[in-house]
Amino acid sequence: MESPALPSLLGTTIRRSFTVGRVNLVVATGASLVWGTLLSLTSGSAFSSLFPLLLPILGTIGTAGAMLVFTNDRTKGVFEYLIAYGVPPHRVFANVLGAAITLVALVDGLTLAVALAVRLTLGLAVPLVFVETLLGYSLPMSFGATALVTAAGMYWTSLSSPRTGMNSPLGLLPMLGVAPGGLALLAAEGAGPGYRTYVLIGAVVVVVVLAFVLLLLESRLMPRERLLSPA
Amino acid sequence: MSIAALPSDRSGAPTGGGPRISCRGVSSGYLGAPVLHDISFEIDEPAVYVVLGPNGAGKTTLFRTLAGILRPLEGEVLVDGEPVDLQGARDHLHYLSHMDGIPDGLNVREALRFYGRVERAEAPDVDRVLRLLDIESMADRYLSQLSAGQRKRVSIARVFLREREIYLLDEPTANLDPKLSREIRELILELSRDKIVLYSSHNLFEAREIGRYVIAIKGGRLALFDRIENLRGEHFVIGVRVLDAGTPSALADFTRQGDYYLKELPGPESVPALLHELDTQGIRVREAREMNNPLEDLFA
Repeated sequence: MESPALPSLLGTTIRRSFTVGRVNLVVATGASLVWGTLLSLTSGSAFSSLFPLLLPILGTIGTAGAMLVFTNDRTKGVFEYLIAYGVPPHRVFANVLGAAITLVALVDGLTLAVALAVRLTLGLAVPLVFVETLLGYSLPMSFGATALVTAAGMYWTSLSSPRTGMNSPLGLLPMLGVAPGGLALLAAEGAGPGYRTYVLIGAVVVVVVLAFVLLLLESRLMPRERLLSPA
Repeated sequence: MSIAALPSDRSGAPTGGGPRISCRGVSSGYLGAPVLHDISFEIDEPAVYVVLGPNGAGKTTLFRTLAGILRPLEGEVLVDGEPVDLQGARDHLHYLSHMDGIPDGLNVREALRFYGRVERAEAPDVDRVLRLLDIESMADRYLSQLSAGQRKRVSIARVFLREREIYLLDEPTANLDPKLSREIRELILELSRDKIVLYSSHNLFEAREIGRYVIAIKGGRLALFDRIENLRGEHFVIGVRVLDAGTPSALADFTRQGDYYLKELPGPESVPALLHELDTQGIRVREAREMNNPLEDLFA
């Protein structure tokens, strides 16, 4: 008798990431909403120039739940269990990545919805440069940085012995998550107004390419032994 | 005679007719470094097979290899003639890791449903399993709120969600209180009436109580595969507890250990004669038991 197809575990992984990483999610969403709302009240260029740059930084903080699930599942033998029942390791990676992307989409989506609603309610215009920066930088950087940090985090975690605290990969994760967006922001400010757009687009390209390459190499970098708890 | 030197006695083992698990020249390990070397055996009789060995001998690696989690560096593991990598072969197996394997962020009932989905159990009877393992009262509690013993109980519960023919149980009674350990042993014994159960434990008395065969691993090699009843230790020590107060002179050549008077005998066949001799000397024996476990010698 042919065994039934493996069910998708993405929904469960997303829900578990919500539960396990709820503190990070609340902090990221809260900070993002506060900044988004405050900036949407301004009539100057701050809304267009600053808000899209902050969005990826705050959004990635909210994705820590996915990495927490990955680390816990590895150390507690859940991956060992899943592999024994025929779940391939690449499905494990994909589930964690999917959960992280969902979390960042939630933070970004909620923040954008509230900020735009406030702005439109007050009768303030939404500048074209805001939309361009959002589509050309904020959203690709949010998803690219999340994919990059999640892939790097899974790889880094798999190399490490189980431990907790700020010395662990998890302790560093919120800081690692803000790195791509933070560095891009600093580079853009340092480059001056004439080169700002090029720097931001360049940063997005670098992050997205790096994330793509790392994800392609994930199975090679992380053989199934690295997903097992200590014997 | 050392236990490891005993000849294997598997040729006469009855066949079960169900799926068999074959380990043929398997070397296995982590990231290319072998832990197990040239392991070969074949199992087809429903029974409890106790996997024993010192820490670091390779027991968990053996379980992981049999479960298809680790791919052999050499040799092959077959379940019912199929490589264990194939889903058809995996569907004959239940695997319980020495770790809990419990997903955070779910409550007990949700975790059992999660397991049911992963194991493709059609409409998993979660309520029945909750009752079986006496965990109904904690069904709605988050797994992170449970004690180590309760988590282990949930972990064990999942192997009863769906019936399979071969059970690989790596230290299923570790961290459990004596009452629950006994209940789990009874469940394992019940399973082994018509299933193959490979089971590892550091509790040798427990192993002797429920095991029919022993698979001893030492230094990553198969040191012994035999019926437990065939094992004879280096020494056979009998311990007797007597009803009479004080130390009767007839027990002078015994050594005292707590309530027990110990004496080394050539083998268990000498026990009736010893008891008869004590009886003729007026010593009323309350209990007599073998004091050393021959399985201990596997750890020497």
